Amino acid sequence: MTWETVIGLEVHVQLGTRSKMFCGCSTAFGEPPNTQVCPVCLGLPGALPSPNAMAIRLAARAALSLECTVHETSVFARKNYFYPDLPKGYQISQFDRPLSSNGRLAFESADRGPCEVRIERLHVEEDAGKLLHDRIAGRTAVDLNRAGVPLAEIVGGPDLRSPAEARAYLTALRQLMVYAEVSECSMEKGSLRVDANISLRRPGQAALGTKTEIKNLNSFANVERALETERARQQAVLDAGGMVEQVSLTFSAATGQTRPMRSKEESHDYRYFPDPDLPPLVLSPEWIDSVRRELPELPAARRRRFVTGYGLSAYDAGVLTSERTIADYFEAVVAEGAEPKGAANWVTGEAMSAYHDAGHFTVAPERLAGLMRLVGDGTLSHQAAKKVYVEMTTSGQEAAAVADRLGLVQVRDEAALGAWVDAVLAAHPTEVARYRAGETKMLGFLTGQVMKASRGKADPKGVQPVLVRKLGGL
Amino acid sequence: MSVTPEDVRHVARLAELAVEEADLPALTAQLDRIVSFVAQLEGAGASGPDASVAAPNGTALRPDLVNPRPLARPPAAFAPEFIDGFFLVPKLGVMDES
Amino acid sequence: MSAGEAAREVGQRLRAASRLNATLAWSDAALEAEAARVDAMPVPGPLHGMPVAVKDNIVTTEQPTTCGSRMLAGYVSPFNATVTDRLRGAGALIACKTNLDEFAMGSSTEHSAYGRVLHPLDPDRVPGGSSGGSAALVAAGVVPAALGSETGGSVRQPASFCGVVGVKPTYGRVSRYGLVAFGSSLDCVSVFGRTVSDAQRVLASIAGLDPLDATTVDQPPLETLPGPASLTGRTIGLPREYFPPDLHPGVKAGCDAAIARMKELGARIVEVSLPHARFAVPTYYILAPAEAAANLARFDGARYGARVTVEGDIRAMYRATRGLGFGAEVRRRILTGTYVLSAGYHDAYYNRAQGVRARIAGDFALVFASGVDFLFTPTTPTPAFKAGEKTADPVAMYLADVFVCSANLAGLPAVSLPVGRSEGLPVGGQFMAPHFQEAGMLACAATLERHLDATREVAR
Repeated sequence: MTWETVIGLEVHVQLGTRSKMFCGCSTAFGEPPNTQVCPVCLGLPGALPSPNAMAIRLAARAALSLECTVHETSVFARKNYFYPDLPKGYQISQFDRPLSSNGRLAFESADRGPCEVRIERLHVEEDAGKLLHDRIAGRTAVDLNRAGVPLAEIVGGPDLRSPAEARAYLTALRQLMVYAEVSECSMEKGSLRVDANISLRRPGQAALGTKTEIKNLNSFANVERALETERARQQAVLDAGGMVEQVSLTFSAATGQTRPMRSKEESHDYRYFPDPDLPPLVLSPEWIDSVRRELPELPAARRRRFVTGYGLSAYDAGVLTSERTIADYFEAVVAEGAEPKGAANWVTGEAMSAYHDAGHFTVAPERLAGLMRLVGDGTLSHQAAKKVYVEMTTSGQEAAAVADRLGLVQVRDEAALGAWVDAVLAAHPTEVARYRAGETKMLGFLTGQVMKASRGKADPKGVQPVLVRKLGGL
Repeated sequence: MSVTPEDVRHVARLAELAVEEADLPALTAQLDRIVSFVAQLEGAGASGPDASVAAPNGTALRPDLVNPRPLARPPAAFAPEFIDGFFLVPKLGVMDES
Repeated sequence: MSAGEAAREVGQRLRAASRLNATLAWSDAALEAEAARVDAMPVPGPLHGMPVAVKDNIVTTEQPTTCGSRMLAGYVSPFNATVTDRLRGAGALIACKTNLDEFAMGSSTEHSAYGRVLHPLDPDRVPGGSSGGSAALVAAGVVPAALGSETGGSVRQPASFCGVVGVKPTYGRVSRYGLVAFGSSLDCVSVFGRTVSDAQRVLASIAGLDPLDATTVDQPPLETLPGPASLTGRTIGLPREYFPPDLHPGVKAGCDAAIARMKELGARIVEVSLPHARFAVPTYYILAPAEAAANLARFDGARYGARVTVEGDIRAMYRATRGLGFGAEVRRRILTGTYVLSAGYHDAYYNRAQGVRARIAGDFALVFASGVDFLFTPTTPTPAFKAGEKTADPVAMYLADVFVCSANLAGLPAVSLPVGRSEGLPVGGQFMAPHFQEAGMLACAATLERHLDATREVAR
């Protein structure tokens, strides 16, 4: 029995603001519990929400980067339910008039190649607090530092066809949000959260099967694993002739199992209505345009430009544009006069390991360009240059100064080369004779010996002519 | 359309409000009376435009500054149960966890 | 009179009026502290030394805020309402917190968890509600002014019953930050005064844009205009729907006298119509409970207020706390509000009510656009009724709001002032004005006030 997998993801990203969505409390992560709270985010009697301008701006930026239409008027709505992490007994969100809708995100599927997910909507809402279940026996501990933090909820259509695609989509989405400086998107810090919906249907069937929802997945790998587990479970149910029940599930990374999380009689009737404490959000076309102009060149476009503009391979372009910092660094090196393909090799090679170690590029772009020039004009061999680079990551010195200090500058002086060549020829009479007898490939061996004698300092390009001359009996 | 005891039980669940079975008949009668009264609106004809009380100048947005309103006393002073910096509440039911 | 003397006098008067059960928190020490604060002000404020009572659904850090409920017994807010800060900034003395219908839900102040408030002129009668405590204190001469709140007429109606002035500002004129929310799109901090002038001064001190309340509107400061010598050039509209043939004769007589006086003062009187008036009460009793159900969801025993400990999980605690912490009327409104928002009923009730609300507002807009400056109507269908008379049938109580709740639905400013007495009980008449036209409306009311003897028997 073959089944088609249908997956849709709801992603919450924390908008990168300093203060919360509806009050001036800090959004800083990791502070002592209930120290970043005020009457508003505690939901004290009499408190009222005051919406954060930057949160709206970042959400609009996220929406535009996903090619959504940003609506000039949208409405905040109350989503009503009782839960200990929800201080007001309702969440301020958006319902039938969201900030934006109708976008798309392209990603690369291992099975299907280039694909697209429709973004049904992106809206703003406030986060709930955090619950700790095992801190004190018999009680649930509530920390409201996070309550009120601004979130964008991004709802993708049921356009993914495998758990691996879900992961690829999330990677592309995260990259886009980081590029656009909307969110840090760190699942460890909770600034990106995923709820996954999955259902199965017969291939070719238009209607969707009954879906289950897996909530609160905390890593991309776990998203993929949980979906694989749930797909297998649904398949077993359907193959046995049963029906899938619509439930919400949690996934345990330890056991690899999903289990239902809400009792069946719990109603999902959220009784949405427009929040009377907040007038409609009105954004002018001029304001929306100003946000659009703020958008940096987005990853897909930048990738394409690196291929067509710099002649890089798709692979190299992908690596270089994986993060905006890396792409910016690469282009800065090229702007200093470095040849693009060479620069690409350096940035994806030596520079990348240093970047991952330090968290940033420690060698300034003009310094790397300078190093590349020394290789280009023969002052340094490529091997020597690598050593020089490592030294440059910590010393901050120019390439030439480091090369001098380490004595790695290639020797091209004819007299010095001549001396080494003489020594090698004297030491290898057999090979010399063989060369003179017509075995021209002895040249390679003899060149290598000269390199060894000079401990790598001889410029190989300079060695050859000297060798040939001296072997010719001069 | 009249309100039934099951309706009352249902909305009481949604509103997390305990209703004793003994009180249910009287409460159902009262709610039925109220709902029948407000159902007069059926005679009001077609709806008007969106009635959300809109500020004429749209939404006033707050600059993104960290300037929390101070609390005259901390949560420990007004919370029913507060230990080690946390509000404490009874545990969720087994099927209610997240 | 120094602030200290004013404080001591208020203390004496509060003690003398204790039988009214109008107060929930006051103390000599608190009054002294208020006086000391006022005396320490370098420059006297516009309300300097004026004692003002504050309804107990407006939060203060120095006294508890109970909202007339067991749910908040002993709850001391860690922040002050904007209006309280502004009163203090203007040099007023906060005299006490006043009794109210629980969470502002009621029209008689019989639904307080702390006992009903007595009408100052007749202990068997109600002062009106929900701001009955504030109304009674002003009527009894304990304080010249008091803050109340209106959602469906809860200041004008008790003002009318008690024979004092009650002013509801335009929605968005006064900050709601610190007013415990009942019906957020309707709630207005409102003002009682012995006279229109007292009420005007207090209103001007508390009005104004507040960044903490996104529904406040930027307007020029509220002027306190004196009542003009004549009303020539003013057109007063009388909506026929507010003068039914079976209107209480005392109320009718009082309003007729006021209308006659306005004519004498040169006003042009015209009959107008507000065709959707009869839908106001049902519309209100869908929208207000719906918003209330959401606004009161925060009272769950978890973070503040009462908690009822029972066996079982957190939901058992929620249900027990809310079942016992809220009184019967509040529970009814939460259930009604939840019902009209719930799936299957949302469209027929909540959405339809929003549509009708727009039509009600539209009626007013049409009338004001047709050359009418202000409307004049009775404030209440009857004078103060007896305690217990309307508590058996919730709808009977709701109908007490028939003339006042339209202004709340439309966000309009309105003022009730006493126009006479009927069998010894006060009768009130109200003006309603277009949005943000309080200043002119209050000036007109002040003129009428000058030319009326509010204590005169008008009934046959």
